[in-house]
Amino acid sequence: MNTSSRQPSTAFSAARIFELSLPQMLWSRRSILLALLVCGPMALATVPRGAWIIRPSQFTDATVGFDIYGLMIWLLYVRFIVPVLGVFYGTSMIADEVEDKTITYLFTRPIQRRAVILGKYAAYLVCTLLLVLPSAMIVFFLLVPVGGGTSIGVQFPVLIRDLGALAIGLAAYGAVFAYVGARVRRPLLAGLAFVFGWEPAMVVIPGYLKRLSVAYYLQALIPHARPPDDAGPPLIVVALRGLLEEPSALGAVVGLAVIIGLCLWAAGRAVEQREYVLEQ
Amino acid sequence: MTVIAAEHLSKWYGQVIGINDVSVQVPAGVTGLLGPNGAGKSTFMKLVTGQLKPSQGTIRILGEPIWGNPALYFRIGFCPEQDAFYERMTGREWVRALVRLHGATESDAASLADRALEAVDLMPAGDKKIGAYSKGMRQRVKMAQAIAHDPELIILDEPLSGMDPILRRKSIRMIRDWARQGKSILVSSHVLHEIEAMTSNILLINQGRILAEGDVHHIRDLIDEHPHTVHIRADHTRELARELLAFDDVRSLRLEEEAVVVETTRPDAFYARLTELAASGSLGDITEVTSPDDNLQAVFQYLVKS
Repeated sequence: MNTSSRQPSTAFSAARIFELSLPQMLWSRRSILLALLVCGPMALATVPRGAWIIRPSQFTDATVGFDIYGLMIWLLYVRFIVPVLGVFYGTSMIADEVEDKTITYLFTRPIQRRAVILGKYAAYLVCTLLLVLPSAMIVFFLLVPVGGGTSIGVQFPVLIRDLGALAIGLAAYGAVFAYVGARVRRPLLAGLAFVFGWEPAMVVIPGYLKRLSVAYYLQALIPHARPPDDAGPPLIVVALRGLLEEPSALGAVVGLAVIIGLCLWAAGRAVEQREYVLEQ
Repeated sequence: MTVIAAEHLSKWYGQVIGINDVSVQVPAGVTGLLGPNGAGKSTFMKLVTGQLKPSQGTIRILGEPIWGNPALYFRIGFCPEQDAFYERMTGREWVRALVRLHGATESDAASLADRALEAVDLMPAGDKKIGAYSKGMRQRVKMAQAIAHDPELIILDEPLSGMDPILRRKSIRMIRDWARQGKSILVSSHVLHEIEAMTSNILLINQGRILAEGDVHHIRDLIDEHPHTVHIRADHTRELARELLAFDDVRSLRLEEEAVVVETTRPDAFYARLTELAASGSLGDITEVTSPDDNLQAVFQYLVKS
């Protein structure tokens, strides 16, 4: 290996970074804590399932299990778990390497710096999909039979569509927070402000600003789980109307694809241009 | 041949100046970058390795600008100062994974990593997790990743820090061997005698400026006028202290937790005898020898005043 060596392609370099990063990400303390978080919905789902097994007669609504499942996907997964995993893993892609001072080993190699963010993003996707999708599947299998009105076989396509939506959601939030992590000095704070401040506010405010949130597009992919818009106090109804202004499924997928593409491009650019000064 | 050429190079972090208007040409061979803590050594190393972008001026490595030029890293190997690793990986896995980033195939990376581990005498521990390595092993595995891809220019930031006397001697010999094989090496340290053991060509850096460059010997005598402190971590500190008190160049000695702190007026002679003592094994293991940078700070203050 010498001066005539050819610089590896971005895809090759990203694949090597992926191999290096995935085990670090999978076996981190962060993964253990977030695995506990995704266990929450599974634990909750055992309650109606247990009640159904013990006293099935108390369930008068035959589709109650499927309805609870839909609500959990919408409220717990799409609005909470997916963005939270996105923010904790996404903002740490570069920040962890800087904090651990291992970034030097990656940035003094003959690879484009953007390959580092792409490889880490791929590792993030695998890691979060491994955490979230099995949890959502277990919740589906626990809840759908409750009430006795729907069968797992009939609703299985819904599960597949929901898993697809969760995967796209993880991809979108991961890309947004990869950019935040590469660009901002305190990325976790900025990320949490985005998830718990910007997103909920934008989604309920009428107008075009909501198009600058991931949730706006993502909730369009989970329509079966929307809460009814004719119930609850007026403030909630207004909020729900805001929520219901949503794009078509195709429009949502295109919107999320644009967000992913733009954010990854911007993250790569930020990493290429930024100097990372390590604490001595 | 010039391997590193800086022209009016400056780097500042907000209001803080890291490097101030440095113009220097580093020739092929071994060059020592000597300066106390905070002198600008690390900033200079980071500019040389393209981790930082100059605020002003230019820096060219092997004739090319380094910032935003990743292809140049085929020709450069860098051993950073920080003790940072992917702790759960084994030494062999880690070096292999980093060589793979040079585009090497899996089998090439495996043989290059093994060759590098062999060169730093770490083959037997190659399959141990880095988290279980001693300080000396960690320093050596860092060196292994720096040389594994066979670079022309090797940049070593405080490579001997924390090594025991025997490893220190081995490492110095290794660095000299690399130079004999035609490699150019820039090595930083805050300990003059370490640099002196590797090369007579030094760059003296302090407060972000290069104070002097060239032969080490003209400042050599100054060192002897200032006591030199050595911190020795060992198994049997009391017995070691008793032994060291017999050395006529030991000016003072105190015991700390699992360590002996010695002040000597003749560091070269002291280190030579300490190495012999460690090699004999008569007093158990001497696990770590460090030298606080206030030794050099005193010399620099003297230099700046004069």
